[in-house]
Amino acid sequence: MASSGNKSINAKLVLLGDVGAGKSSLVLRFVKGQFIEFQESTIGAAFSSQTVAVDDATVKFEIWDTAGQERYHSLAPMYYRGAAAAIIVYDITNQASLERAKKWVQELQSQGNSNMVMALAGNKADLVDSRKVATEEAQAYAQENGLFFMETSAKTATNVNDIFYEIAKRLPRLQPAQNPSGMVLLNRPPAEKAAGASCCS
Amino acid sequence: MYGTQSKRDLAFEYQAQVPILRPSIHARRANITVKFQDIYGFTVEGNVDDVNVLNEVREKVRQQGRVWWALEASKGANWYLETHVSSTLKSSLKFTALVNQITLKRLIRKGIPPNLRPKVWFAMSGAAKKKSTVPDSYYNDLTSAVVDKVTPATKQIDHDLPRTFPGHPWLDTPEGHAALRRVLVGYSFRDSDVGYCQGLNYVAALLLLVMKTEEDAFWMLAVLLENVLVNDCYTTNLSGCHVEQRVFKDLLTKKCPRLAAHLETLEFDVSLVCTEWFLCLFSKSLPSETTMRVWDVLFYEGAKVLLHTALAIFKMKEEELLLTYHVGDVINIIQKTTHHLFDPDELMTVAFDKVGFMMTTNISKQRKKQEPAVMAELDQRFRRLNSTGEENDK
Repeated sequence: MASSGNKSINAKLVLLGDVGAGKSSLVLRFVKGQFIEFQESTIGAAFSSQTVAVDDATVKFEIWDTAGQERYHSLAPMYYRGAAAAIIVYDITNQASLERAKKWVQELQSQGNSNMVMALAGNKADLVDSRKVATEEAQAYAQENGLFFMETSAKTATNVNDIFYEIAKRLPRLQPAQNPSGMVLLNRPPAEKAAGASCCS
Repeated sequence: MYGTQSKRDLAFEYQAQVPILRPSIHARRANITVKFQDIYGFTVEGNVDDVNVLNEVREKVRQQGRVWWALEASKGANWYLETHVSSTLKSSLKFTALVNQITLKRLIRKGIPPNLRPKVWFAMSGAAKKKSTVPDSYYNDLTSAVVDKVTPATKQIDHDLPRTFPGHPWLDTPEGHAALRRVLVGYSFRDSDVGYCQGLNYVAALLLLVMKTEEDAFWMLAVLLENVLVNDCYTTNLSGCHVEQRVFKDLLTKKCPRLAAHLETLEFDVSLVCTEWFLCLFSKSLPSETTMRVWDVLFYEGAKVLLHTALAIFKMKEEELLLTYHVGDVINIIQKTTHHLFDPDELMTVAFDKVGFMMTTNISKQRKKQEPAVMAELDQRFRRLNSTGEENDK
């Protein structure tokens, strides 16, 4: 995978979105390459990790897959705090889920890290016959708000690895000046992290 | 196969059906992972040692059953219902009640045999009393009155039915879904403040597996939410759950200071794992019989049992956790531990003997102390989000 000269980056990634949009399914597809029609509903959040290799680095994603029900909203800050990336997921067969996704984007823009890489995923792209959200609509919204956009299908695996790979490419490489909150950390013990305030010393 | 009557003795049918597994010497050497069904019908993956532990647990459950039967024989059936020390009792009776109370507490911590669970839980949790205050037809009237109603809660419930322990041989059948639906929908109308909160599906599902009737499962759910657990665990912003997390965090600092300090340097917030534990009452994390053992004590001793159990899990892995560098490693250790906790006694011993005594009144005080801070934080967040929403709408 990573050759000896490559950087190793740990990146916290959070998935947010309406209940049943397919957040857990996207993670399952990305991490294990599997798909289950009825995925257990997530309570609080579920953690997993997966590594991808991009041109100059190996990125280890620490993935927080959050619960979608509205009342779990009050827990969300714990998961997006310090996150380097977020995937906001909606279901292309459900217009309300896009509205909910927009609310998440707003919240991340006001509360999250300013350097956070944000992706909008229109999931269930295989269900073309029941589509309610036009690709153009979501695309336009994403562009206006500085997100990158992909339609995905956890079921057929379309664009699933791609969206994570794209995020990995866009993550800021270790440049402490631009990245003071320590969102992307070198893979090393926290004692050093605390001691060395500046990573380029 | 799982007809209407089958729900009654589901647990024992499983016990009878599942043969004692004897892993071959080759399997042992290869240390392979095997799939098997536990006594409540859940498919579990584990290694050969796990299978052996589970077989031992089955034997212990049988022994514990004999202890309970022997007590019934000597003290009379339903002796455990006469543990209430009332002032009107004569002193000799009072003494007997007190002895029974102490015996019962110890006995329950050692586990209630699965076939006695429905009866004992129903009596000691207060569910029987709750049910007795309303007409006999309450549950049937309630469920038939709301059968065709559509609310946000019912929509969410319908969405979650096939996602509640998928693959379970009874829960994941049309019959299982229908029973779970009636219990959850019924409850959502009984308490509209709670309505339906994800997590209750897992709790209600396990209650259905244990209790003899759907109606009793409903009353267990009611007593759990209304009397056993802390208030507002499942309501709109889960404030009760937030309070419990803070209480737990303080407890961990007090009982395992080194570990708490280490986790803090990693920026590991205990809520990352405790939220699911406290909302699903460990049903999604621990093997089924271990979960049941926690619930045995929960229904008798109250909500602090969840704190004991959570503390025990951290305590059991303290040394290993102290060596971690990443939040992810902490989570992995905790998850691996809970998934393989096939021996309930291992957990119970740490939870109640090693963790030490915790006064219920002290914990109540801690909760009272944390409540205002949680409410203020949630309120502040709500305002901030609303104000950014308005700005963006302009």
